[in-house]
Amino acid sequence: MDDLLSEFLDETAKNLAVLDVERVKFEQDPNDPEILGNIFRLMHTIKGTSGFLGLARLEGVALVGEDVIRKFRDGALQVTPDAATLILRCIDTVRELLGKLEESGSEPRGDDSAMIAELRTVADGKMPSRRTRVEAAGESAVAAAREAQSSAHVEPAASVDGFPVARELLDELAAAWDPDLTTTSEGEIAASITAERASEGDTRAGPQPAPEPSPLVPVTGTALVERPESAPVESNGTADKAAKDASLATQSNRLDIALLENLMTLIGELVLTRNQLLHMVRDHDDSEFTVPLQRLSHITTKFHEGVMKARTQPIGNAWVKLPRIVHDLAVEMGKKIELVMLGADTEIDRQILERITDPLTHIVRNSADHGLEAPEYRTIAGKPETGTITLNAYHQDGHIIIDIGDDGRGLDMDRVREGIVANGLATDAELDAMGDQQVQQLIFKAGISTAENVTSVSGRGMDGVHANIEKIGGVMELKSVAGRGSTYTIKIPLTPAIVPALILECSGERFAIPQISVLKLVRASGNAENAIQRINDSPILRLRDLLLPLVSLHDLLKLGDNRKSERDEDIIVVTQAGNDTFGIIVDRVLDTEEIVVKPIPPILRHLSIYSGNTILGDGNVIMILDPKGVAPHAGKVAVGGAEATETAPRVSAAGEEKTSLLIFRAGGNELKAVPLGLVARLEEIDMANVERAHGNLVVQYRGRLMPLVHFDPAHAWKTEGRQPILVFTDRVRSMGLAVDEIVDTVENVLDVELSEDRPGLIGSAFIDRKATDVIDAGYYLTQVFPDWSAAENGQTPSAAGGARSVLLVDDSAFFRNLLVPLLSDNGYSVTTVESADNALRLRETGARFDIIVSDLDMPGMDGFAFAEAVRNDGLWRDTPMVALSSHPTEPELARGFAVGFDDYVAKFDREGLVRSLALSITSAKNFE
Amino acid sequence: MKSCLIVDESKVIRLVTRKILEDLEFETEEATDGQSAVEACRRKMPSAILVEWNLPVLSGIEFLRALRALPGGEAPRVLFCTLENDLQHIQEAIKAGADEYVMKPFDSEIIRAKFALVGLL
Repeated sequence: MDDLLSEFLDETAKNLAVLDVERVKFEQDPNDPEILGNIFRLMHTIKGTSGFLGLARLEGVALVGEDVIRKFRDGALQVTPDAATLILRCIDTVRELLGKLEESGSEPRGDDSAMIAELRTVADGKMPSRRTRVEAAGESAVAAAREAQSSAHVEPAASVDGFPVARELLDELAAAWDPDLTTTSEGEIAASITAERASEGDTRAGPQPAPEPSPLVPVTGTALVERPESAPVESNGTADKAAKDASLATQSNRLDIALLENLMTLIGELVLTRNQLLHMVRDHDDSEFTVPLQRLSHITTKFHEGVMKARTQPIGNAWVKLPRIVHDLAVEMGKKIELVMLGADTEIDRQILERITDPLTHIVRNSADHGLEAPEYRTIAGKPETGTITLNAYHQDGHIIIDIGDDGRGLDMDRVREGIVANGLATDAELDAMGDQQVQQLIFKAGISTAENVTSVSGRGMDGVHANIEKIGGVMELKSVAGRGSTYTIKIPLTPAIVPALILECSGERFAIPQISVLKLVRASGNAENAIQRINDSPILRLRDLLLPLVSLHDLLKLGDNRKSERDEDIIVVTQAGNDTFGIIVDRVLDTEEIVVKPIPPILRHLSIYSGNTILGDGNVIMILDPKGVAPHAGKVAVGGAEATETAPRVSAAGEEKTSLLIFRAGGNELKAVPLGLVARLEEIDMANVERAHGNLVVQYRGRLMPLVHFDPAHAWKTEGRQPILVFTDRVRSMGLAVDEIVDTVENVLDVELSEDRPGLIGSAFIDRKATDVIDAGYYLTQVFPDWSAAENGQTPSAAGGARSVLLVDDSAFFRNLLVPLLSDNGYSVTTVESADNALRLRETGARFDIIVSDLDMPGMDGFAFAEAVRNDGLWRDTPMVALSSHPTEPELARGFAVGFDDYVAKFDREGLVRSLALSITSAKNFE
Repeated sequence: MKSCLIVDESKVIRLVTRKILEDLEFETEEATDGQSAVEACRRKMPSAILVEWNLPVLSGIEFLRALRALPGGEAPRVLFCTLENDLQHIQEAIKAGADEYVMKPFDSEIIRAKFALVGLL
């Protein structure tokens, strides 16, 4: 397309846009001379310019349009509503022709004779107005043609025959400005002329001799029938006056959109570089760069704002079609509608503008169609006959808010509820629990707008609109009061390209989350009121009156076990996505930063939890979380896990039994584990407080001296700083086991494989697929308290009656290894078997024991069956039995006693076990 | 070098006109409405003015009256350029002090002829 033509299109589009904005005024007062003047000048200019360019169809329409409007403007004719519609149609035809011209570079073929005829009839002062659709298409076409013919003689000859002027000029211009394009331009012009001539030959009415009735005519063909009561003619001022305050000429420069986009990208890079510099300087307080960098930062921000502004357009541009749509709907449905548009000059990003135009149109159409009542109903309801649709746009907190309200009937909540239930979006019970506000939000969910609901409920396909708004990062709300009207509120970020975001850390990975979605940050500490609780294994947070579902980013993304085990320092990012509010559990919040949103690469596009990625100041690429994608996972991670366990048959209750383990590092890089149940507390002590006594390190702990040992005897103790320790407690005594790093706590099936006989180690196990040494806590206790066992012995009843024999039945090697030293140290002689069957076999051999300790969960015969077998008959019928359970519950307890256990001890409750053994033996003795 | 002020709302028309006038070795200046045309003349009075009848802010005829009221405003040759070919407009323009009129669409031949007519070429 050559420069001249594109210039023409650009110019005309601008003029049309101005006209569209004034459309409302035109509809309210079609005789407003100012607007008529503007429309007249538009037609005039198009006519003049299209003459130069040889655009005959456009010129034909503009010519007759100008003629009619001149008469209206000069007051020679009165504008009736029908005439107004006709004028609007004329403008639309111009717009349509321009659109096609832009697409193809040449005027489309077509026939405007019908409309031209209509306009001509109006212009001829036959002051018509009631348009009646003539059924017989042929008749209409003939009428149109006749009109056209009759008006042909008044046409100026200028444009009828060929386009030598334009041809000459275009050639010249093309040659002068862009030699490369010459051939193309000529070719296009030639093609356009040929096409034009061809179309003139058969279809074009206008100034040509009467054409054959074309098949196109019946489609658009409407004829005008004279109405007897002619409207009074009155004068309405002059166009000159009207033109005064409507200067279209502005000091502006045309910019290629691609250039702006490119600038925006560069700004993005600039912001990134600035962030990078800021990041580098942050650690140096007195850097000479600090001040210039602040300036750079400031300028970058201003620059960004400037370019953003260049990309913006008044939101009114998205509204230009609305008056026309409302006008048409009002005429069609016999309603009276006033469209009020406030804040049309609110600037909005061009990209966003394009995307909200359709949703806005849809909403307004709905309001006009379904929201507003017919005048007679409005009168009955005591409202003014004319319904009002109000559009209001304004800036607020870095967002653009658009309200679309009507004063119509509002939503019929009963019908909406019916619709929701019918569509299965919620049950009656659920709806009962919701307020109207919440129910109204459901309109945005898919499926509500089914045909049977549409007419009165105005469910209205809002799901699509909602989805479109969400796509540009916006949110949408609906407020509706029955009988008073509905208001849709749309909130959109100023630009989708650069957003303020929160940088989060989880398991050593960083993520960004847009600040628009973040409501608040909560620090969840283990003991404070803001503790993470669990309901059905789903993490939740009680936040004032709200139970907030949580999702752990660590679990969601399966970030492995890099996670710090300081779980009591969790940060919860309270996030809103649409109507869902939920919390994301992360390790830390690092920073707020203006991030440049880079589109998500196609390979990751199927991951709904990310909306893009960005480059941080330090050069790292991180993902941007999409709250809408994360929301479905909140409170459901655990549920999903539960489903998984349900579907996977439990191979063996005991074999799958899970134990909470504390994973840490000490004396080397390999992981170590100790059952969490054995650890009294995790502490961090200040090495400055550590003293030496009797060659041992001790520290004051809870009013007593607590000895410290390190896992690795050769370890060189630090003399200052913090030292993490595991505190093991036995009755009143405590000891601290110093470790290098506490890594995590895991729930794992503990399957200890015995290793070489290394002191302090029970064996090793696979924990999270990593070989991990399981340490023997008892070993360290005896190290610190050489008199530990002796002291125990002195206090246990067993000391009185010599060594008591204990049969320990447990399938877990770990527990057997854990308990044997404990029991031995307490003066028992322990026999272990790994299954109930083996124990019963032992019974057959005639072995006798003072007491039997049995696990409940075991493969094969479990603890209950074993007890029953023991109690039934045989040698051990009266031997006291103690049950070991990992999860003591009331029913289990009752069942245990019913089958004949005498006592019941939780695993890991070592003190309890020792006490229980003594007690059981004593009472058994008393019976004897 | 002779100068000509082109007053037209349409940039397309201005471009076309400028091309023609530059071929005729005129120095050109442009204005988009009657008011800015008056201001342009106040800054520097051109030898010729090609003005469209329908203009925003100040119409062509209003501009003409304002121009003729300016000091030295009698000097420029003023050519009205319009689509409105009825006699009334032309008469009104000539009465207000226009020297000639040109019908749109024009080409270089028409312009050359009209300019010659008013003694500019």
